[in-house]
Amino acid sequence: MKKIARKPFRLTKKAFSVPYIAFLLLFVVIPLVLILVNAFLDNGNKLTLENFKVFFTSSSTLTVLGNSLLVGVITTLLCLIIGYPVSYILSKMSSGKILVLLYIIPMGINFLIRTLATKAIFLAMGLELGMGTVIFGMVYNYLPFMIMPLHTTLSGIDKSYAEAAQDLGADKATVFLKTTLPLSVSGILSGVTMVFIPTISTYAISQLLSNGKIFLFGDSIQLSFEQGMYGVGSIMSIVMLIFVLLSNFIMNKFNRRGNAARRSLW
Amino acid sequence: MKRTALLLIVTALLAAVLLPVLTACNGGGIDGSGGDRLVIYNWEDYIDPDMCDEFEAYYEEITGRSLSITYTTFDTNETMMTKVLKGDANVDLICPSEYAIEKLMLAGCLRNQKEIYLEIAPQLEQYGLTLEGMSSINPDGYGNIEPGVMDVIKPMFGDLEDGSGKKYDMTDYMVPYFWGTLGILYNTNVISIEELEQYGWGVLWNVQKNPKLENKILMKDSVRDSYAAAVFYMYEYGLLPEGYENYTVQQLINCTDDAVIKKAEQVLTEQRDHISGYEVDFGKDDMLNEIVYADLAWSGDALWAIDESEYYEDTDTTQLDYYVPPTASNIWYDGWVVPNTVNNKLAAMMFIDYMCKPMSGILNSMEVCYTSAVAKDKLLADEEVCDYIIEEYTDYSDENLDENGDVIEYFDINEYFDDERRYPVIGETLGVMRDFGDRNEPVVQMWQRAKSGAGVAPSLWWCLLAIVLAVGIMIGAYYAVQAFKLRPRKVKSAPDGGDAEDGAKARE
Repeated sequence: MKKIARKPFRLTKKAFSVPYIAFLLLFVVIPLVLILVNAFLDNGNKLTLENFKVFFTSSSTLTVLGNSLLVGVITTLLCLIIGYPVSYILSKMSSGKILVLLYIIPMGINFLIRTLATKAIFLAMGLELGMGTVIFGMVYNYLPFMIMPLHTTLSGIDKSYAEAAQDLGADKATVFLKTTLPLSVSGILSGVTMVFIPTISTYAISQLLSNGKIFLFGDSIQLSFEQGMYGVGSIMSIVMLIFVLLSNFIMNKFNRRGNAARRSLW
Repeated sequence: MKRTALLLIVTALLAAVLLPVLTACNGGGIDGSGGDRLVIYNWEDYIDPDMCDEFEAYYEEITGRSLSITYTTFDTNETMMTKVLKGDANVDLICPSEYAIEKLMLAGCLRNQKEIYLEIAPQLEQYGLTLEGMSSINPDGYGNIEPGVMDVIKPMFGDLEDGSGKKYDMTDYMVPYFWGTLGILYNTNVISIEELEQYGWGVLWNVQKNPKLENKILMKDSVRDSYAAAVFYMYEYGLLPEGYENYTVQQLINCTDDAVIKKAEQVLTEQRDHISGYEVDFGKDDMLNEIVYADLAWSGDALWAIDESEYYEDTDTTQLDYYVPPTASNIWYDGWVVPNTVNNKLAAMMFIDYMCKPMSGILNSMEVCYTSAVAKDKLLADEEVCDYIIEEYTDYSDENLDENGDVIEYFDINEYFDDERRYPVIGETLGVMRDFGDRNEPVVQMWQRAKSGAGVAPSLWWCLLAIVLAVGIMIGAYYAVQAFKLRPRKVKSAPDGGDAEDGAKARE
């Protein structure tokens, strides 16, 4: 008690962090612990490993997981292929900063509304909903997440690098491949992370744009919890988290090795 | 020490602020202003919107106390059950479906309504009400409830037993509210009634190979309804695994043996190639907008959609219609139950009773289009009800008025009650579905497999291959161009060499 008397309470920086710590504990750590605990419980709240067996032996969940990862990879690649040229051109233009807003502004509208609008357009065009429409919707929704970091990185590259390369006799393609591309790796990586991680866990887009015919991992988790299969649902959530952490880890590894100019938005 | 204390204070403050927000408190059935409270937990769009106000007035008239109703809704039985089973639902009344009632009842979450009646009997007497006068289940019988529905419930749920051996009779725990069937909502311009009569449930599989129907069918994104449809289809087309041929409809839809599940998966996977998708709640709209032409639907939803759809005067038909294959279908019902969390027993029981009055039954039924569980003859016997139906359905357009402005032909009340889509004949071919219990998990697994198709979609692999190829070609092209530029060249151009020599000379 003496100690307390000697040290009067002062409003330091640490005191301000307490609410955040409490918030993190309440809404991040405790839910994660609950998921972990649920994974080992059966319906009667007894300890069991049955859930793991169900998850890793049933072809349904593994197929769905495979589907999800594949959709994620394809969406990410498409976003990169479309997004890189766009950000490259925009970074070269003097009005690029304003034009890039046109890509970012739609993000302000809730993605559900945009997805429903996309669906209405598809139906008006008489297109059959399915895998194609789902991938279109995903690319459309996540493209800004690719363009934003790429544009920031690309417009931050010092022009003198490219000029120096040109002075030394490199043609346009070589300038791009030998200077611009390596210097923008950090942007590519953060863009890929920003797109890949949400796409593997997405569920509303796939459900709406395929009338529920395309069934992804997010949908599967939702169905498990809805049906009261908390154990299996928790394991799926953990698997998802592992994939998220894994991709984050790999991206960070690349990022550290790859380049010196580590400028990116995220 | 100080930090721990501060942390504790902040946590306590946070908890103090958040807890009342997170848990809707229900203070003993009495609200802050001193009046009584009633919390109802019902399906979305499942009641006449004025009904709560009417009941509040009725309650005040009888008891002299004011009542404020809190009306909350759920969208699936599963969401509701999760809340109730976890004890998070502080409500007085719930309206689940039969299998959910079974599950909640056996989990010990519900109160026996007969016992509640005995508890509140003195209060009822005080307000001049008698048990015999209650229009819900009175102690000696079914009250105003359709006997046919009760006859379906009794053999199936009348004698249940939970894990500890306690006996349950569902009719003691529940008062039916709405009931109906599962069938096919179809577009009359695309599917003919002959087609339906010939192919029955097969229409949802497009067995008849109607080119207009291909990929224009919607199924329900619900495990139980889809499983039921699959079983009916197998039953009708003799696709059942060996040994199950002699099962009745009732036994079949409650049969979750591995062999049947396996076959159902095969059937549902096969169906996936012929349908547009699995709808959650947009089926009716898509049917009305002719985006799809057939939809697995509940009778009430179907009747609502038919009401909304176009009417063709020349043939006296509507754009949409509803068909229940006579070989097999499902009969379901939703009912009022009182959970353990009940605070205001009197108001809860009076509300159930009020819902069973013929006029409430018909008002609700007209609003949501489902079939009220109030018996047909009780409704027909009530003059006010009949007048109301006639008033609602009579055509008041100029064509039906004579020169004095009088109506030429009034609506025939029997047309409403003889409609088999609304009042199906309850018989052997209509089966009640129970809770799957432990077998729910294999069925859900099956449903996941069926919905995600036979495996990883081949189109995905092609797509990935195309992207990789495109990137590969681009890289290849770059290296090819580089190689072409850096190819070893013979120095043959004389003027070029000459210039260099000139320069060298000049420098010298």
